[in-house]
Amino acid sequence: MLKEGLALSARDVRMEYRDPTTRDRLVAIERMDLDIRQGEFAAIVGPSGCGKSTFLKIVNGLLPASEGEIEVRRPDHGKDHAMVFQDSSLFPWYTVIGNVSYGLVCQGVSRREANERAKPLIKLVGLEGFETKYPYQLSGGMQQRANLARALTVDPEILLMDEPFAALDAQTREIMQVELLRIWSQAQKTVLFITHQIDEAIFLSDRVIVMSARPGRILADIPIDLPRPRGLELKRTPEFTAYEDQVWKLIASQLTTAGQAAVA
Amino acid sequence: MTAATDTLRPIRNPNARRRRSPLARWFRRNERVALGLVGFVGFVLLWEFGSRSGFVDAFFFSKPSSIVSAAIREVQLPRFWNDVRVSAFEFAAGYFVAIAIAVPLGIIFGWYRRLSYMADPWLNLFNSLPRIALLPLIVLWVGLGVESKITVVFLGAFFSVIIPTVQGVRTVDRRFLDVARSFGASQRRLFTSVVAPATVPFIATGLRLGLGRALIGVVVGELYAQTDGLGVMIGKASNNIQPDRMFFAIIIFTVTGVVGVEGLRRVERYFDRWRPRLEEQP
Amino acid sequence: MAAQSGQLARRTHPPAERPRGVPLATEPLLFGILGFVVVLVLWEAAVDAGLVRSALMSSPTRIVGAGVADFSSGVIWPHIETSFQEWGVGFAVALVTGIPLGLALGMFRRVEYLFDPWLSALYATPTVALAPLIILLFGVGIESKYVVVFLEAFITMTISTIAGAHAADRRHLETAKSFGASKSLTFRSVILPSSVPFMITGVRIGAGRALVGVIVAEFIASNIGLGFYISINGTTLNASRVMLGILLLGGFGIVVGQLIRRLERRFDKWRPAIH
Repeated sequence: MLKEGLALSARDVRMEYRDPTTRDRLVAIERMDLDIRQGEFAAIVGPSGCGKSTFLKIVNGLLPASEGEIEVRRPDHGKDHAMVFQDSSLFPWYTVIGNVSYGLVCQGVSRREANERAKPLIKLVGLEGFETKYPYQLSGGMQQRANLARALTVDPEILLMDEPFAALDAQTREIMQVELLRIWSQAQKTVLFITHQIDEAIFLSDRVIVMSARPGRILADIPIDLPRPRGLELKRTPEFTAYEDQVWKLIASQLTTAGQAAVA
Repeated sequence: MTAATDTLRPIRNPNARRRRSPLARWFRRNERVALGLVGFVGFVLLWEFGSRSGFVDAFFFSKPSSIVSAAIREVQLPRFWNDVRVSAFEFAAGYFVAIAIAVPLGIIFGWYRRLSYMADPWLNLFNSLPRIALLPLIVLWVGLGVESKITVVFLGAFFSVIIPTVQGVRTVDRRFLDVARSFGASQRRLFTSVVAPATVPFIATGLRLGLGRALIGVVVGELYAQTDGLGVMIGKASNNIQPDRMFFAIIIFTVTGVVGVEGLRRVERYFDRWRPRLEEQP
Repeated sequence: MAAQSGQLARRTHPPAERPRGVPLATEPLLFGILGFVVVLVLWEAAVDAGLVRSALMSSPTRIVGAGVADFSSGVIWPHIETSFQEWGVGFAVALVTGIPLGLALGMFRRVEYLFDPWLSALYATPTVALAPLIILLFGVGIESKYVVVFLEAFITMTISTIAGAHAADRRHLETAKSFGASKSLTFRSVILPSSVPFMITGVRIGAGRALVGVIVAEFIASNIGLGFYISINGTTLNASRVMLGILLLGGFGIVVGQLIRRLERRFDKWRPAIH
């Protein structure tokens, strides 16, 4: 049973698969044990290929894990989870409103009602006036705002975010980080955020989970004790850079071992 | 530095506006249409006067004015309208039946991977086969009547439509399927919200290719099994050395082809309005 | 929240041998052969059981039989040679005229605008409709076949090549210009390489259309060639020989298509794979 106050609990999750061409067995995730509290903002960082996106897909139910168990709190209303995908995952053939209301339409809500219910969320993410635009008419940042709104419309217990800002330019990315914190504080969701950007993870989260290189496992679970609400000036404080150093050292150790493994 | 100055050239800004007469400006803006018109009219005039002066053999190549008068004569003949009706029926029946079968079948093949692996060799074989070669066989099976032409039109269009359709479904971006599944989309919703919109451009390409193939099917079918239709009119007009009538019949096919392709492009553009339009190259 | 924590979404995961959606590498070949063989066996069985008349439907073994007979007696060779010659000459002439013309039109925009309506119209016309007139003009001999085949291949190649000449990336053109490349160097270093894939595609489609030209011209008026072979055996109710002729033409089409595709891949080496 899921303990009280927890939104998600993963036990002994292991993921391995067989390469379809070489038929080799690859272990993507060695072992993941993870508890996320309700309302918490948790970020997973790790070197690329460490299985963090795979883990998110397993939580999302898109991939079956090889072993282990995942429990997600099912709220009284809304869905238990919704995913904010990486860039350009908006349906290019739907307008903003069509994309944002998609999750509701999937639940059998009528088009008209779904559009009504999508409107406040479009406003929340700051896309008012762009409802009838197609994704190609939006900038990268706006596309990801719509992506976020699409996940929020189904009123999920947990918001899963898979490197949502990875494709944005550096300035837009920082603006979106601040925006995400604003939206998060208003929507009051549990967030599990995947990124390879260390400063992004620290800036956003209550907790940073550092993963090892493949096969993935948890190296460290670091509570981020920085005051909220946070602004971008926080990134220049010594406390913030201390956290950055700490996380970077953990990841750098992984990079060198991975590099040595590749040479050997 | 004085030595270098004489090598400096003024750079003319290519974007600098030069004063032009209104006619020249209009020409620059509508260059394509204007020159196209010039090319069209010029060639027609060359043909006409070349023919009149004996430079072009009017006996074989006719001339535009004769084609027009032949057209005027033809449209008053019931036989002509019967030919048009027969050809139009053969075309429509073959083409639309082909679409009605090829699109759903292509979607099924595209979706069920193993089924499509099984169908692949046959689809590829028939697609690389010149289907026109099947005509004698078709006549052997269904006779010389309209059925044989409908069949050859059908075969022409069918493979042109089904192959891109299968490809369209098979290449649907996994990301979008993941998104739909993660929102709990039903199988039906998955189809209507992801597979169908992503496949439409492929189907449209197939319809356009198929249209041309279907027209070839009508002509060759009627040339081969001469009963009724515009193809028969072409065949007979050439045998009787009436190039004016023949060109008139061919022009009907050309117009059908051009109008049909343009119409399909319009439909395609409507379904494709979510796609960024490529900027016209100036 | 504490009081209402009863409902849970629980997922346990059994060990998965192979994630769904990942095909085995051998699957297409396996199922392809299966699909091919099943149809052949059903066909043969249906004819042998008398469900369909063999005179109309033939059967795989009967087609092979006809092939053995006509190849060993040698009667089919003149047909093959004639058709191949018609195809080869028409196709070759189209190749050496269509591609330079396409490049020229693609380079000189205004000339292309002049020809544009005619090219579009010819493209949309089933040009095989001109075959009767061409045969009338050039006689029932092989010359008229050359012309029909040429016309079929020529239009496709020209139009594809024009599209290719237009496909040059503007950034590359600007690079050439900024380095002061002459018109001819720009052509050789930018326009030609970027139009090659289009040209080859045009050549591939043109090769197929040329084959259609061979068949139609031989249907209309000839006494030799594979098109004639198919058509005469159709009127004498010899389905096995009709299908043999179709398979020979189809096989030729496939072989030529594959050869050109290989060429296509060679010239496309510098292009990143899309798949």
